[in-house]
Amino acid sequence: MANKENPTETAATPIITLRHVDKHFGQLHVLNDINLSVKKGEVVVIIGPSGSGKSTLCRTINRLETVDAGEIMIDGVAMPQEGRHLAEIRAQVGMVFQAFNLFAHKTILDNVTIGPIDVLHKPKKEAREEAMQLLKRVGVDQQAAKVPAQLSGGQQQRVAIARALAMHPKAILFDEPTSALDPEMIGEVLDVMTKLAADGMTMVIVTHEMNFARQVADRIIFMDAGSILEENTPEQFFTHPRTQRAQDFLNSIKNH
Amino acid sequence: MSVFELLSQYGGKYMLALLTTWKLTFLAFLLALSIGIIITIMRICPIKPLRIAGDFYVQIFRNIPGAALLIVLVYALPYLNLVWSYYVCVLTATSLIPSAFCSEYLMAGMNTIGAGQIEAARSLGMTFFKIIKNVVLPQALRFSVLPMTNLLVATMLTTALASQVPMNPTDLTGIVSYINTRAVGGVTAFLISAILYCITAVFIGQVGNLIDRKVRILR
Repeated sequence: MANKENPTETAATPIITLRHVDKHFGQLHVLNDINLSVKKGEVVVIIGPSGSGKSTLCRTINRLETVDAGEIMIDGVAMPQEGRHLAEIRAQVGMVFQAFNLFAHKTILDNVTIGPIDVLHKPKKEAREEAMQLLKRVGVDQQAAKVPAQLSGGQQQRVAIARALAMHPKAILFDEPTSALDPEMIGEVLDVMTKLAADGMTMVIVTHEMNFARQVADRIIFMDAGSILEENTPEQFFTHPRTQRAQDFLNSIKNH
Repeated sequence: MSVFELLSQYGGKYMLALLTTWKLTFLAFLLALSIGIIITIMRICPIKPLRIAGDFYVQIFRNIPGAALLIVLVYALPYLNLVWSYYVCVLTATSLIPSAFCSEYLMAGMNTIGAGQIEAARSLGMTFFKIIKNVVLPQALRFSVLPMTNLLVATMLTTALASQVPMNPTDLTGIVSYINTRAVGGVTAFLISAILYCITAVFIGQVGNLIDRKVRILR
């Protein structure tokens, strides 16, 4: 729930800023004049029907998707289109994918240490020790020597979260992190994310898990047809949606 | 001449020829692998002229007969004031052609790596070369162990081109002509070389299988 108790933070630079971001896939207007600002420690959950552009928006934040127009800033620094400087800024934003995307040929431990060692140039020993702590924090430290295919989906996704955390990111983006999981594994991943939110991590989450959204979000963003239609606290959004489309969307999930 | 007569008289020569074939094969394959990796990186890099150049290279050397390439190297290069030793000419011909195939096998191996892993690497802040080094090449190489094993055998068979130029010591095919101009070895002289090629190929195949089983990526 929205219980951030530091009013001075509103004056600080937002961690993520999107200004007038536009993107087309051919004729389709997938992102339509998106403006978004995420403060430090804020948890923003993006929901909406499939095809609404929420995943594209999430991937746009660290420029895994190119945009046609608009500005994307991370901690006050504009993201360049490409090159080394873009890589440096990407390293500051963690990303957790629907399909986990762990490196198939590396052990769990190496999956977590590769970023710190190869991108942040941390000493190997230090990187390994921290990785083990992170794996313990997400509950998969027993699996450190295995390769991704030997783990369950839920375990793989927790490793992916540890891999993102190892970079000490300013924010983590979650692109439908539980959509590819069997129902019994969704809870273990959401638990890890709930703890992260409580620890003050800045998070942008695309999800279909409405109870989870209601519980951890500081702010809900409702998207449809490439536009942000509503931005509100979870309480307000779920009890008093302002737009017809949000009402329809909430009704459609309630009926199932 | 019987096999035993041939072996007692030319056994040492055969051994030397076998070693020459092995050495040529090993060097050519190492060169082919290195060139193949570089060409492959060119073919997937963000710079379009390099991609085109890489594709062009593969089209050229995949589609030229080894003997034709050797003739070009031996007879045409001197017109450009480049006179290479026969050994270097043979080594070049037998490494350029397999390098094109090597690149094709690596491209096929890369196609099995999900785009998601590349995105994960990018989101960790890895640059193009780091992604190649950490994610793409290690997996592409592991996925292409068996095709590369075949390529090594094919490279060995291509080294028979050495028999077409004067070389001392000559290779397993060249030794047959050497013997048959001095004695009546006939087809038996060929047979001995063929058996030595076969033994080497079987050995390469076994080692390839072992390596494949060891490095195979669980999915």
